[in-house]
Amino acid sequence: MSGRDTGTSVGDHALMALHHGRLPPAERAELEARIARDPAAAAMLADWQAQDRALQALCDPVAAEPVPGRLTAVIAQARRAEGRIEGLDRRRNRPATRAGTAGRLARAAGLVAAGVVLGLALGGWGLRQGWLPGLPAGAPALLAAAGPAPAAAAAHRTFAVEVAHPVEVTAEEDRHLTGWLSKRLGHPIVPPDVSALGFRLMGGRILPAEGGTAALLMYEDGTGRRISLYAAPQAGGQTAFRFVEMQGLNGFWWVDGSVGYALMGDVPRDLLRDLATAVYEQLG
Amino acid sequence: MSLLDEIEAQIPALRRHARALTRDASRADDLVQDCLERAVAARDRFRGPEAGGGSLRGWLFRILTNLHRDALRRDSLRSHLVVAGDLPEPARPGGQEAHLALREVEAALTRLPEDQRRALLLVAVEGLSLAEAAQALDIAEGTLVSRLGRARASLRAMTGREPRRERKAER
Repeated sequence: MSGRDTGTSVGDHALMALHHGRLPPAERAELEARIARDPAAAAMLADWQAQDRALQALCDPVAAEPVPGRLTAVIAQARRAEGRIEGLDRRRNRPATRAGTAGRLARAAGLVAAGVVLGLALGGWGLRQGWLPGLPAGAPALLAAAGPAPAAAAAHRTFAVEVAHPVEVTAEEDRHLTGWLSKRLGHPIVPPDVSALGFRLMGGRILPAEGGTAALLMYEDGTGRRISLYAAPQAGGQTAFRFVEMQGLNGFWWVDGSVGYALMGDVPRDLLRDLATAVYEQLG
Repeated sequence: MSLLDEIEAQIPALRRHARALTRDASRADDLVQDCLERAVAARDRFRGPEAGGGSLRGWLFRILTNLHRDALRRDSLRSHLVVAGDLPEPARPGGQEAHLALREVEAALTRLPEDQRRALLLVAVEGLSLAEAAQALDIAEGTLVSRLGRARASLRAMTGREPRRERKAER
């Protein structure tokens, strides 16, 4: 039906292919020659060009506006998440080992549901081989690429299984918790609220970290899964979101200014990413 | 340039297209945000032109088009509601050579059927090739060409630019 809609000798398809420009040079030249002999086609083409100019004049101003932050944020967030490190921990935490360790710990603590820890480390931290039993020699280089995650994973593993005392100061002592953490860390910290994602703040504790003090905030969902947010001082400026798997846990970590953060837990990666994003935004 | 960079570079064009379709700044940016979120989440599945997957622009505009179609379906009232005079102010009063009053073109654009408006905006404003626009609209190139032909003929008729040999518009 398109052949001669325009009433020209050239035909719509060819004329449009010419106008919208993706023709091999030979074909283009041949068409242009035909149009030169066909005033109707030439007039049609001129009309289309005028239409295009008018439509562009109407619509173009939008593209010159500054792009709203909420749109660039989608890209920025993806960039942060893109820096994830896959497989860092796979070599030393093969599935069987992981399951065994996790299972023992869970059973020992009388936990049926998997523990989820969101580890946020505030305060200085160093590489602590002692926190990472079973680490092969040569691991420090890998660890250096994992930011606060190893210490966060160790802290999560230690405290998430605690039934009686998972935290030192409970969330009910809200103002006290915030003031206490801030005082001990030497800078203000307000525990992020991730209740919209189903996790309630249980409380926090202070941990020793190389070169400073770390904070661990623990959260729990309705099914008893726990995540921990670990925060510790760290040199390094700014990094993207990085994903790690270690000690049977999933984690996202990042460095913002002089603080390294890690969110750890035995929860699906996608959920953990959403949680980490929410935490990051509130800490920002 | 990473794929994320390339996606980011298309945001102004996506906003322009969404605004022209919705004629509402905040609804347009909602669409673009949804589009970006989908594109970012699915970017691993984007196969570039080398792999026969079409262009990034075609892919992005297709996501946007589908979201807009969904939004219209959800809100069928709006799909019939044509609001003229809501496009952004033109940057300049059309060039002398254009001989087309922008207000007339704007009004005519809002009166085009949705499918024709989409097609016309993609090629005339966004500069998509016929292949890219067909990809974005998920239609055959021949279908696109006849749709564009109708859109341009209607626009011509509505802006008083009936060419000499124009047959009566098909519809």
